[in-house]
Amino acid sequence: MTAAEQLRERYAAELRGFGSSLPEDFGAAAAELAPRFSAQQLELWAQAGVALANYSLRSWEASAEYFRASPQVASAMRFEQLMAWARIATELAERSSVVSAAFLKATPEVLEHLPPWQLEPWARQGERLCRGNWKSIALCALYFSSSPRLLAAMSLQRLGELVAVVDALTERSYELATTCVEHAPQIFGALAPRDHEPFLRFAQAVTRVSWADTRLYLERGPALLERVEPEMRSRFLELAARVTADVGRQGFPLFAGAAAALGEIELSQHDAMLAFAGRLAIASPIAAMEYLKSAPFVRTRLTAEQMQQWAESGASVLLEDGNAEGAEAFFRLESTRAEQLMTALTARVELAHVGSTLRLYAKALTGEQVSVRSTEELVERGIGWVTESSATTEGTAIYLPPFISTFEHQDANFQAYKVFATHQAGRMEFGSFRYRFGDDGTQTPSTVHERERRVRGDAPTRATTAMERYFDLFPDRALIAALFTVIEDTRVDAYVGREYGGIRSVLRRLQAHEAQHRPALQGMALRAAFVENLLRASLQAADTMQWPHALEPVLRDGLSALRMVELAEATVQDSAEVAAALYDIAQRIPNVELEPDEQWETPDGDLLEVAASMPGGGAGDVPMPQGEEAEFETPPQPEFRGDFKPELVQLLMQLRQQREGDGEGEGAGSPITQQQLQELLEKSVELSLSGMEEGDIASSLAMFLSGLEKEGGTPQGEPRPEHGQQQGSGEEPVQQDLPVAIEWFHYDEWDFRAADYRPRWCRVGERVAPEGSLDFYQETLQRHHGLVAETRRQFELLRPETFRKIKRLEDGEDLDLDHAIEFLVDKRAGVGPQARIYWRRNKIERDVAVAFLLDMSASTDEEIEKQRPRRNEREDGFDDDPRKYFQWLAQRRAKQAQEPPKRIIDLEKESAVLIVEALEAIGDAYGIYGFSGYGRENVEFYTIKNLDEHFSDRVRKRIAKIDPVRSTRMGPAIRHTVHKLEGFEAKVKILILVSDGRPQDHGYGRDRTEKEYAVHDTKQALLEAKRAGITPFLITVDKEGHDYLGEMCDDIGYEVVADIESLPRRLPSLYRTLATQ
Amino acid sequence: MASTTRRTTASEQAPGKGAGFRSLQVEEFRIKSEPYYLPIADEVELFQTAYAQHMPVLLKGPTGCGKTRFLEYMSWRLHQHVPTRAEEGVPLITVACHEDLTASDLVGRYLLEREETRWIDGPLTRAVKVGAICYLDEIVEARKDTTVLIHPLTDYRRLLPVEKRGELLEAADGFLLVVSYNPGYQSALKDLKHSTRQRFVAIEFDYPPRELEAEIVQREADCSAEVARQLAKLGEKVRNLKEHGLAEGVSTRLLIYAGKLIANGIQSRRACQTAVVWALTDDAEVQRSIEEVVTSIFED
Ligand SMILES: Nc1ncnc2c1ncn2[C@@H]1O[C@H](COP(=O)(O)OP(=O)(O)OP(=O)(O)O)[C@@H](O)[C@H]1O
Ligand SMILES: [Mg+2]
Repeated sequence: MTAAEQLRERYAAELRGFGSSLPEDFGAAAAELAPRFSAQQLELWAQAGVALANYSLRSWEASAEYFRASPQVASAMRFEQLMAWARIATELAERSSVVSAAFLKATPEVLEHLPPWQLEPWARQGERLCRGNWKSIALCALYFSSSPRLLAAMSLQRLGELVAVVDALTERSYELATTCVEHAPQIFGALAPRDHEPFLRFAQAVTRVSWADTRLYLERGPALLERVEPEMRSRFLELAARVTADVGRQGFPLFAGAAAALGEIELSQHDAMLAFAGRLAIASPIAAMEYLKSAPFVRTRLTAEQMQQWAESGASVLLEDGNAEGAEAFFRLESTRAEQLMTALTARVELAHVGSTLRLYAKALTGEQVSVRSTEELVERGIGWVTESSATTEGTAIYLPPFISTFEHQDANFQAYKVFATHQAGRMEFGSFRYRFGDDGTQTPSTVHERERRVRGDAPTRATTAMERYFDLFPDRALIAALFTVIEDTRVDAYVGREYGGIRSVLRRLQAHEAQHRPALQGMALRAAFVENLLRASLQAADTMQWPHALEPVLRDGLSALRMVELAEATVQDSAEVAAALYDIAQRIPNVELEPDEQWETPDGDLLEVAASMPGGGAGDVPMPQGEEAEFETPPQPEFRGDFKPELVQLLMQLRQQREGDGEGEGAGSPITQQQLQELLEKSVELSLSGMEEGDIASSLAMFLSGLEKEGGTPQGEPRPEHGQQQGSGEEPVQQDLPVAIEWFHYDEWDFRAADYRPRWCRVGERVAPEGSLDFYQETLQRHHGLVAETRRQFELLRPETFRKIKRLEDGEDLDLDHAIEFLVDKRAGVGPQARIYWRRNKIERDVAVAFLLDMSASTDEEIEKQRPRRNEREDGFDDDPRKYFQWLAQRRAKQAQEPPKRIIDLEKESAVLIVEALEAIGDAYGIYGFSGYGRENVEFYTIKNLDEHFSDRVRKRIAKIDPVRSTRMGPAIRHTVHKLEGFEAKVKILILVSDGRPQDHGYGRDRTEKEYAVHDTKQALLEAKRAGITPFLITVDKEGHDYLGEMCDDIGYEVVADIESLPRRLPSLYRTLATQ
Repeated sequence: MASTTRRTTASEQAPGKGAGFRSLQVEEFRIKSEPYYLPIADEVELFQTAYAQHMPVLLKGPTGCGKTRFLEYMSWRLHQHVPTRAEEGVPLITVACHEDLTASDLVGRYLLEREETRWIDGPLTRAVKVGAICYLDEIVEARKDTTVLIHPLTDYRRLLPVEKRGELLEAADGFLLVVSYNPGYQSALKDLKHSTRQRFVAIEFDYPPRELEAEIVQREADCSAEVARQLAKLGEKVRNLKEHGLAEGVSTRLLIYAGKLIANGIQSRRACQTAVVWALTDDAEVQRSIEEVVTSIFED
């Protein structure tokens, strides 16, 4: 019997109780180990296994693993080490047999990654996770069972760090900790080993501050990192960890944002950028991350060097001025300084910055009420334009691209904008849309009537506009549209060149630029190539033309016709004639693709200088190549000329006229019908070309129609304010439910921490306040009739003292007899008096405008009763006798039911009534406005009475309807009121803000409780008012010390109305003092 | 007191002659040579007829559009048939009205001189006496009580009451009252009283159309035809901005200034900047837009 068999015999009995497999496992292992170990050793080994099996109820499972793993484990180590291993297993079994089993089972594979002496630290690391409850046991077991894979991906030390993270997570969520372990092998397998440590360090930091983010980090982190330059990843992670230690919860979002941002930037820049961020991080980790986050946006405007310059300026805010908040705002792009600097540095010009200049410019050129808008808006309007990037005009607005960055210098790009705008304005100024069917041009007589007869016979035209009627003469709509566009653009360019010598050179530059970026001619189908050549010639780049030699006469005819519209007096009528003649020529050119070996040549000097003349038909007999014809494709338009849709513009103009009831003008006699519109759309070149599905056509048809209708409904004019709609605009609008027109304005907001404005931060929506009933006003007057009469009287005293005599003047209207006599007497007496003996009437004019701004925030909903100190009453009166108290309470409730308690807003309203009465007596110009809103994008501004509006019943009704709405963002409301006052002519301007003293809004400060930010911004807005020559005055009706404004309004007029209910009395008298200073 | 007053007439006061400047009594100002005036519409004919019929005239139009020049031209032209007048020139008495202009400022007043008071005729009185055209520039600026004064002068009576002296002066034959009025910048407050306004026939002026303005600018500024054409174009474009950031369109006068600067060697863009852009508005945004128009029109 072998030693192993003996052993087996001996232990068979002991192992019997543990299921059938255990003795077998034991036997198999013993057989393998016997040759290696001495009997004594074998004995020790076996005893350890049996002890393990006996340790607890289920520890036989661990024991089984022990026996199964032993042969392999033993082959990797000395016997003492094996015994140490067994001891660890036993110790683990003390905690849990499951854990122990997992440990034992994983060991053989783990040994592929670890030397035997590291088994102990490996086990101890895992043991930490085991806390006795079943969740921790499962997690710990998972640790061991995953270890082979984990250790394949990472070192033991890193694994220890991972355990620390996992351990920390267990305090929050075992589920999360488990996932973490499950995914770890994969995550770390994907990461470069050198990044493991920083990755884990950041993970620890994240877990510490925001455990929920750990999951996100583990899920997304590796992918995010992948987009960072490989060499830089660990540096980036270190930075992120440092930031997180500093900023807490924001750490991961900042990391994610910055990583995504880095992903959008060339890898070669990462080094420098991270180095820079590292510098910032020393003083402000947030600034560092914000810097990285804004980088992609900044890079769309600036080159790498420019960005460096820009960032340095932000760094100096941080490092030199020591203003961390300022630097953070700077890099978050929420600072005027940052934006201005960017604008100064960039070559790219934004429409947002130059739009208003260009609008006035275009207005000057055309004499029309044009507005300038971004092409992005055009498609949305759904009136037949479908390309978003081309400049164009629809007759009242000029659409320009949102930015231009074609050239290297800002000025060149701005000049380009000017050329864009001038070309579009030129279409209006030089009459591109004033085509009249059948009128002669200055260079060419009209032939369209004959053509119409030829094409249509006696059938009447169905066209709605002259342009449409013209286009209808040509079977190939795309071809005539392309030709007419080239010709008319040529004419407009020629005019611009002649009339605006100052931008001629820029125009040439743009033409040259466009000419260099034309599609290749060779390979184009022949007819398209013909049009393309004309276009090149019209860009003054005839030398880039290419054309088959054999067909030269055809091109010559085309060119000389083109030159016709470059003549000084040419009109759109000439363009139409020339385009028609060119159409005839082009029609004869088959749209075939020529063999590659066909001779295309650049025409010589002679052709470049052809004189203007209408084609005489001499080229008629040139033999044309044969072949299969392709569909005609319109060559792309040069950018500065943009889209041209004269037929739509004429239609729109006609629709607008129709709406305005202006019946004059050609074709305006018969109103346009839906059907005609439909036909027009179906003919629209772009739609047929883009090959839409039936459904698409139907839906865009509907969009087109409704778009057009809207257009027609809006009278042409100033840039239309964006119109918003309030809720409640149903299908059938009732008088009062009509959608309220909202006009939007943007204002900066003052960030006192950054000591800088946040540009265009708040959006103020101005609207006319809703109307209530007339009763309120009348009732208030009756209730306060005594007060009303008194204030009226006081105010009447302020009325302008029209003509007052000023006496004792050296010169004046007339002699003052008394003084004259006095003078003569003095003189005779030799006193030597001065000849001040005239008088004159002096006129003192009263010229005051005042704007009242009423706080309509929810806090004004508070009852005044509540704010009264009532405690004493309660304590003294009822403390001993609860019945009395309840009695009192019941009485009070009953009283309230009859007469609802007054709220702050009610007093504001009553005061408004009084002040209106008083001001009407004195004749000062006044406006009443209310404000509220929620968030910076939604500051609501209600006009109750505009400064230049007459007092009326509508105003009375609006006062009645003043109601508490939402929050209080005072700054933008004040700024908007200042804006209104600035637009009003008066010598003395006053702004009176009536509020409960609590500026408060979503995002108006770091959190809901912070007041400083809001207070600073409000104060800043009041100072702006002062700077604009307006006297601001603040009245707050807050009694409970919520008055945050008071303390800082040192140099601004300010009053807390002590007894709130006296507000209606106090306001008029305050005004009196203010307006007569 | 009137009894102690010695009457003085205008003729007693000799024109003072100083070194380097000449001081004239208002009625001694004469238009000696034909002023340059380019008729824009039928204003010459209208005025002539009104003058013949003793109808007071109101010249209405924006600043610097040629109202004063027109009147100078008309005074000269109307007096051509009077042989003496043709020789010595035509008197034109101009009063710039302002808020503090009083009736005495127009009619005359007593001054104290040594032991006595002395009466001195105001410009209106002088014009009435010598039969000159009296031009009250910017009449709305004057106070209402002052404007009432001209009422009897401007109807069929043609009488000027000189209250302080208890006199009524009948206007000499050549006398005509002409007032000017710029409707552009006045507020509603400063409108003419209807009873005043309805005493005048109104001739409306506006800036000349582009071609005529170019002609005027060329002639007055003595610049090249091309520059004049460009300036007239600029004028037209800038006037398109009226009421959109600009209270007043650019006047012919300013265009002439610009033309003169250019004719005397200033770069055209710069000349327009000083004479047009900055003279028109302080609004940086509008300035910028006008400058863009300037740089589009002028090459340097
Ligand atoms: N039709 C014209 N013919 C000749 N010169 C003209 C004409 N119109 C304007 N001008 C020129 O314009 C200048 C300004 O005109 P003028 O001084 O007459 O303006 P105005 O209408 O009186 O202006 P204001 O209202 O400011 O007094 C004149 O000096 C003259 O050079
Ligand atoms: Mg004048």
